[in-house]
Amino acid sequence: MLENNVEIKSSSELLKIVQELKNDGYRYATMICLKANDGHELIYVLDKNYVLKTLRYFVKPSEKPKSMSGIYLCALLIENEYQDLFGLTFEGLAIDFKGHLYLTPNSPKTPLA
Amino acid sequence: MTTVIPFGPQHPVLPEPVQLKLELDNDVVVGALPSLGYVHRGLEKFIDTKDYNQTLYICERICGICSAIHSITYARGVEQLMNVEIPERAEYLRVIWSELARVQSHLLWLGLFADGFGFESLFMECWKYREAVMDIMEMTTGNRVITSMCKVGGTTKDLSKEHIDIILKAIDNLEPQVENLEKVFVNNYTVKKRLVGLGVLSKQLAYDVGAVGPTLRGSGVHSDIRESPSWSIYKDLNFKAVIENDGDCYARTKVRIYELYECFKLIRNAISKLPAGEISIPVKGSPAAGAEAISRAEQPRGEVVYYVKGNGTKNLERLKIRTPTFANIPALLQMLPGIKLADVPVVVLTVDPCISCTER
Repeated sequence: MLENNVEIKSSSELLKIVQELKNDGYRYATMICLKANDGHELIYVLDKNYVLKTLRYFVKPSEKPKSMSGIYLCALLIENEYQDLFGLTFEGLAIDFKGHLYLTPNSPKTPLA
Repeated sequence: MTTVIPFGPQHPVLPEPVQLKLELDNDVVVGALPSLGYVHRGLEKFIDTKDYNQTLYICERICGICSAIHSITYARGVEQLMNVEIPERAEYLRVIWSELARVQSHLLWLGLFADGFGFESLFMECWKYREAVMDIMEMTTGNRVITSMCKVGGTTKDLSKEHIDIILKAIDNLEPQVENLEKVFVNNYTVKKRLVGLGVLSKQLAYDVGAVGPTLRGSGVHSDIRESPSWSIYKDLNFKAVIENDGDCYARTKVRIYELYECFKLIRNAISKLPAGEISIPVKGSPAAGAEAISRAEQPRGEVVYYVKGNGTKNLERLKIRTPTFANIPALLQMLPGIKLADVPVVVLTVDPCISCTER
């Protein structure tokens, strides 16, 4: 289990906590996506003074997770990556490559899904 | 009225393919959009078929320039998963090879950067000095680039007394050569004219957009993973992060120049404190199902983040890698608006873009 891990139940709670952490001086390090049951698990990794905080959120099948790019602009690349590789659709992405950040129309679809 | 022109994917200053769609008002950039995918290799998927030992060799092939620290960061992640404590000598050996890798990477970048702003003889000078480090890599590991000196549980190679003497002598020769380079990069009127005040990234913006490495430290943010508690060995070696405050191309260049001296100090200190003993321990078994770990290290381009998750077999359930250039692209997009098209190559180079890392 990761240190400083917080389970988040709803997307509105997730947005609220991420905004609070940003206000508290946390830097967006990355986001990890895992397959979990029929859905996906997202782990948001934030850093402050070399200490990581991880927020874990379960994305139900067919749910469209909210984009963090409105809070942390840098989230847009990793969210686009997961649209390519896992077939997720993030709502409110600042720049949406629509599944073609890395993959071309002839590439294998959602290779990590 | 604005015009959109492509910068890349093939461009003289880009060692690897990436495209920026630049929106221009006359010759001033008003917006930029990245276009990736030219070297995506699907390595996070590829490791499905590899066990955790083989995966290390995939990780060090993510990038040629920072391959040593990729393998070390991965190995540390798996060692965390499996509660493995490596011998102290291996920790020191990893630091020595990491810092040698940083020296060759920074010298490579300084050369490319000099070439980027039209100073070809300076480019050749930087790469000539870099050869000394590449020779050390070859002598001590058998390879110049993909060194394979690291493994889960320690290192595969040791340094003999003869190796250590050669390394120390090479560093003694290299340090005055870097001082000569510093005179040009830091003091030369023409170089300063080209770099000062260009591509400014403020301290707050650098932090907010998640910049890392010299890009972040050049904007005055004190952040270097080598100072974190997880890398206590660097504290023992008297490591001090290099910070510059102006946030422009000149500041990012100075960070890399001064970091070279820090590398020399770290290598000397690590050699002077290098303990005797084993270089690895045997690692048996597999990462437990559900066990997960995050491992971070300071690459030449900035912080790299590895996430590893076990599933009870020799194969990993998931490997996720966030590389420094991936984190620096949003910062680059913030630096470009307001500068002239002719300055774009110089600004792009100051984040030391590594596209193979970014796309994996």
